[in-house]
Amino acid sequence: MTMENVALEVKDLKTFFHTEDGVVKAVDGVSFNVNKGETVAIVGESGCGKSVTSFSILRLIKAPGKIEEGSIIFENKDLTKIKESQMRDVRGNDISMIFQEPLTSLNPVFKVGDQIAETILLHQDVDKKEAKKKSIELLKKVGIGRAEQIFNSYPHSLSGGMRQRVMIAMALSCNPKILIADEPTTALDVSIQAQILTLMLDLKKEFGTSIILITHDLGVVAEMADKVIVMYAGQVVEESDVFTLFKNPKHPYTKGLLESTPKVHELEDELKSIPGSVPSASNWPKGCRFYSRCSMRLNHCNDNAPELLGDENHIVRCWLQNEEVVKQSEYAK
Amino acid sequence: MAKYLRKRLLEIIPVLLFITFIVFFLVFWVGDPVALMLPEDAKQEDIENLRSALKLDEPMLVQFGYFVSNVVQGDFGKSFRYGEDALPIVLERLPSTLTLAFTSMIIAVLIAIPAGIISAIRRNSATDVFVTGFSILGKAMPSFWLGIMLILIFGVIFKILPVSGNGTWAHLVLPSITLGTAVSAEMTRLVRSNMLAILQQDYIRTAISKGVKPLSLILKHGFKNALVPVITIMFLQISTLVSGALVTEVVFAYPGLGQLLVQAVSGRDMAIIQAAIFVVAIMVILLNLLADLLYKVFDPRIKYN
Repeated sequence: MTMENVALEVKDLKTFFHTEDGVVKAVDGVSFNVNKGETVAIVGESGCGKSVTSFSILRLIKAPGKIEEGSIIFENKDLTKIKESQMRDVRGNDISMIFQEPLTSLNPVFKVGDQIAETILLHQDVDKKEAKKKSIELLKKVGIGRAEQIFNSYPHSLSGGMRQRVMIAMALSCNPKILIADEPTTALDVSIQAQILTLMLDLKKEFGTSIILITHDLGVVAEMADKVIVMYAGQVVEESDVFTLFKNPKHPYTKGLLESTPKVHELEDELKSIPGSVPSASNWPKGCRFYSRCSMRLNHCNDNAPELLGDENHIVRCWLQNEEVVKQSEYAK
Repeated sequence: MAKYLRKRLLEIIPVLLFITFIVFFLVFWVGDPVALMLPEDAKQEDIENLRSALKLDEPMLVQFGYFVSNVVQGDFGKSFRYGEDALPIVLERLPSTLTLAFTSMIIAVLIAIPAGIISAIRRNSATDVFVTGFSILGKAMPSFWLGIMLILIFGVIFKILPVSGNGTWAHLVLPSITLGTAVSAEMTRLVRSNMLAILQQDYIRTAISKGVKPLSLILKHGFKNALVPVITIMFLQISTLVSGALVTEVVFAYPGLGQLLVQAVSGRDMAIIQAAIFVVAIMVILLNLLADLLYKVFDPRIKYN
C-alpha cells in the first residue's frame, strides 16, 4: 500500500478533557489510516472514544477538551497544527461530517435548502442562484422527491429520514474527499436505516469519497465497511479488514461484541453480554484496560499494558497474541 | 392565522372588562368621590344633591353599568383639574411617553444584545464578569437616583445636555438612558443565558463542521435562535418602561403620561387616573399580541392554532 493511496493518516492521537475531577483521557494514542475510496468503521461501546476521535479530525473538540498529542495528516498538512482559518477551508469542503441526531443537527430557523446552499457558497465560487440550483440537484441526488419544495421547508416539517438525507446532501455538497458519519442511522427507524446506508454506499461509489463510519452497530459494519477498527477505553484494540474481523476476531473484547449481537437463526434464550463496564477514563488501569471484564485474562495482563501486535492486515492489542507471555503466565481468576 | 387573531382579539374582551372593573372601584377605594369634589365645609344637603345628580346613590352594579357604557363611548368623565374630558388629555400625552419608551428600548437593545453575546462567548472571562457586574448594578440602581446623577453629571457639571422638558432629541437622551438602563440590564442577562444554551446546540457544531466563519456562526446561526425570547422580553419590558416613566418623567419634568398620572394621583383627579390606566392597559395588551404575532417571523416552528 503506497502513501499516495492514503487519504487520511491519524498518528498517536491523544485528546484529553481537563475537567474539575481530573484529566479524562478520552482518546489515548489512536493511530489508523483511511485509504482513498475506503470505508473505515470505528466500533465500540459508548464512551470508548470513537466519537471524540472523529470530532478531533475536524477539530470540533470544545473546551475543556484538547488535542494533546499526535498528528492528523491530510494532503500533507497536519490538521492538528494548521491555522483555524485554514481548518475552515477543510471543513465542509475536503472533509465533511454527518451527525447522529438529524433533528437537532439542522438549524431550526433556516430553510433546509439555504443550509445546503450556505456550504456551497462558503467553499465554491458560485453565486446564490447557482448555489440554489446545485442544492436542489443534491436534494434530488439523495433521493428527495419534490426537491424544489423541500428546499423551502424548515427542518421541523421533515421526517427523521428526510432530515438525515438533507444532512448527507449538505455534507456531500462540495464533493468532500472524506465523509465522517457519526452514528448516522442510530436515531432512525430500522426501515429508514437501510435506505440511508444504501444511499451512502451509492454516493461513495459515485464520488469516490472515503467514509469514516462511527457506529456501535455491527450489522451496519458488516454492510458498509471495508476495514474495521475496534476501540476500547480510548485505544484501538483490534484492526483488520471486515471479513477477517467477523470470521476470525482475536481480541476477547471483539469476540464479546460479536457474541452480544442478537442472531435470529440461533435458538438461544439468553442474549450474551460482556459483564462489567468500561473503567473510568480519568484513571485508566495500569495494565490491560479490558482486564476487569476479560474472560481469558492472564496474570500478566493486570500489570502490563499490551501493545498492538500482528501484521499489517490484522493487528490486536492483547497479550494472548504473544506466545511467550501465554506460556509463562497463567490464566487469572 | 386569521382564526388565531380572531380568538386572541376576543380574549381581550374579558381582560378589558376586568380592568374596567378595577378602574371603576378605584374611585371608591380612595374615599367618597362626592366628598372629594366638594369643599370641606360643604353642607350635607349639597353633598346629597351632587350624589344623586351623579347617580352615585344607585346600587353599585347599576353604577358599574353606567361606567362601562360611558367607557365604551370613550367617556371617562371630566378632569377636575383641567375641566375637560379626561381621555383626550391622556391621549395627548401618549405620544411623548411612547417616544421616550421607544428611545429607551433602542438604547437598551443596543447595549444588551452586544453585551449579552460577548458575555456568552467569553464566558467566565474578565469581560463576562464586568458585564455581569454592570447589569446587576444597572438593575439595582433606582431610576430616580440614576436620573439625578445623570442630571448632575451631564446637566450641571458638563452642561452638555438639557435636564428638563421636551421638544428636541437632546431632551430625550438623559431620560432614555435612565429608563433604558434597568431594561438593558435584564435583557443582557437574558441574551447571555440564551446564547450560552444555543452555543451548545448540535446545529452550531454542524455549522462549524461546514466551515462557517465565527461572526456568521454567532450572529446568523446562533443569535437568530435567541430572537424569540429577546422579543418577548422586549415587549414585556414596554410595560416596565411605561411604569418607569412615572418616576423618570417627574425627575426630568418630561411632559408625558407618567407625569400626568403622578399629578392626577396627587390631585385625586380620578377621571384622568382611570383613563390613563385604561389606555396603558390596552397598550400593553396590544403590544403583547403583536409580540405573539412576531414570533412566527423569527421562528418557523411556531404555529398558531
